[in-house]
Amino acid sequence: MTTTPSPASTATKASEALAVSTAAVELAEVVKRFEDVTAVERLDLRVPDGEFFSLLGPSGCGKTTTLRMIAGLEIPTEGSVRIFGEEMGLRPPNRRPVNTVFQSYALFPHMTVEQNIAFGLQMRRTAADETRRRVAEVIELVRLGGMERRKPQQLSGGQQQRVALGRALVNQPKVLLLDEPLGALDLKLRQAMQLELKELQERVGVTFVYVTHDQEEALTMSDRIGVMDAGRLLQVGTPEEIYEHPRTRMVADFIGQTNFLAAVAQGQGEARLADGRTVNVPPGSTSGVAITLALRPEKLSVVPAGEPSPSGANQLVGVVERRVYLGSSLTYEVALEGVTLRVRQENTPSVAQCREGDRVGIRWDPASTTVLEE
Amino acid sequence: MASTVSTPPTGTPASGEAVDPALERAAERAAARRGALLALPGFVYLGLFFAVPLAIVFVYSFATRSSTGRTILGEWSLRSYGRLFDPLVGGIAWRSLWIAALATAICLLVGYPFAYFIATRSPRVRGLLLVGVMIPFWSNFLVRTYAWRLLLGSDGPLSQLTDLAGLGPSRLLFTPTAVLIGLVYGFLPFMVLPLYAAIERMDFGLVEAARDLYASGWKAFRHVTWPLSRPGVVAGSILVFIPSLGAYVTPEILGGSRTTMLGSFIVRQFLSARDWPFGSSLSFVVMAVMLLATMVYFRVGGKTL
Repeated sequence: MTTTPSPASTATKASEALAVSTAAVELAEVVKRFEDVTAVERLDLRVPDGEFFSLLGPSGCGKTTTLRMIAGLEIPTEGSVRIFGEEMGLRPPNRRPVNTVFQSYALFPHMTVEQNIAFGLQMRRTAADETRRRVAEVIELVRLGGMERRKPQQLSGGQQQRVALGRALVNQPKVLLLDEPLGALDLKLRQAMQLELKELQERVGVTFVYVTHDQEEALTMSDRIGVMDAGRLLQVGTPEEIYEHPRTRMVADFIGQTNFLAAVAQGQGEARLADGRTVNVPPGSTSGVAITLALRPEKLSVVPAGEPSPSGANQLVGVVERRVYLGSSLTYEVALEGVTLRVRQENTPSVAQCREGDRVGIRWDPASTTVLEE
Repeated sequence: MASTVSTPPTGTPASGEAVDPALERAAERAAARRGALLALPGFVYLGLFFAVPLAIVFVYSFATRSSTGRTILGEWSLRSYGRLFDPLVGGIAWRSLWIAALATAICLLVGYPFAYFIATRSPRVRGLLLVGVMIPFWSNFLVRTYAWRLLLGSDGPLSQLTDLAGLGPSRLLFTPTAVLIGLVYGFLPFMVLPLYAAIERMDFGLVEAARDLYASGWKAFRHVTWPLSRPGVVAGSILVFIPSLGAYVTPEILGGSRTTMLGSFIVRQFLSARDWPFGSSLSFVVMAVMLLATMVYFRVGGKTL
């Protein structure tokens, strides 16, 4: 134990070393500038092998540029891109072990479904019988049986999407890059494909780097999400971490809906709102620091105005300004002094509904408050 | 037209969109009549100045020529068609085909990279370059061809240059090469413009997709860019080949008497040889062959899309 390192500790070290080297994709201090516009600003990112990783952000945030730098369709201005530990440098896309599913699918219009899918294998001079076998397998995998001889323009959007997916997967890439692959589909089909994609990813075990601006999509499918804005990676975490514990206002605002309340930390888990009232918050902020409380609409509940609040819970009083009926739920906009809070209530018999103009109490558990210090 | 009356007439569904089919047909016929009326000037113009003269040429091709060079209508024969098998005609046709094919190939070789270059510039640069391609059209073709005579002449700048380089004065004027240069010069824009249109329309995302699927730059071009720009190649080739084959001005001015091509040969039948039936049959056969070749070419070249 003292002189020679124990087998256990060497094993740990080895597995750590392995863990370091098996990052499927690793970006280090990557910067991309186009003339005078900086698209990506000092981005560090590690995607472990086998993960479904999503880059989420509004359009123009640099997520597609990041994906294209991994694919080799753009070369970073600064920094390094590694795929399975190998420095990519200036390596052109045809010599990288990744494949891309493009937003517009980019299917070759002059080729049939089969020819589209076989393209990558043919470019790598795969033997004809192996090509045939693998193409047939993939056509099965993406459920395009019977469509082999069709041209892309003879397919529906969903089918085209699956051709694009099959055309990439047939090459058995180490990493599959997907650039908003479901963006062009209608809602129903998109939701179906989300589950299908996730399932497919688990089955083939390929690392997915998935770019989307649809937060629901990212939450549904990803193992981890990286939220981007204005060329920066703001936060990386599991869907739950990102949703429950957003680290910045931008993240809280972009993922789901959020109410923001300006406050000043008071110490001992209290904060004073702008109108002077004090609410309980999770402890941790230094007294006197300006903070923002982020409250998810579904964590709030509407109660009759006079009802006393249970100990520890926060309760503010306001007037219902707007009631929006959404079917399975209702949204109330409740005006307090200075701010309007959005509250979401399930449309169930056990939850009392109120009308516009009602005076109501808004109640929430302090633990569900996210404190942002900026 | 849609009826909004709450009680629909008996028998028609309540959708309010049911229109009497007879009325609908009548409306369609009226629309077709209006269209035909608008197209009428075009029909009249083409009929009078294209179809009728062509018919006259066709009729003349079966006429005979008197010993004094007058065309005798009424004595019909196939003699002028028989003369097409004369080796002299064959030689001229072969030379014309050869030169036209070469001119087309050179235009394609020079024009494709150029069109590609234009198509991949920013819209502003693109516009400027396209205007540049079309500028030569603003001056007279005859004048521009005469300018080549000066450039290629035995004491012209090109000749002086080769002489200075120690190669001796070049004697390009009045050779097939001079005709070829003239044809490529004259018809290159007809190749560039359709090529540009085809390449510009192409989705360059497809090239990226090909690169992503392990295609090298060259392979991406061969398997994606080239087949997708083929309609432009077909159109451009036809637009260069056909006028080159029938070219008259360029071989007359730059080719001299030794490089007779079909166009000049036909003109000669009408003017100096005064053999109108032969000139007519020649014109007709050339036209038929070109039409057939164009159709085949379109059929084959258009297959990719």
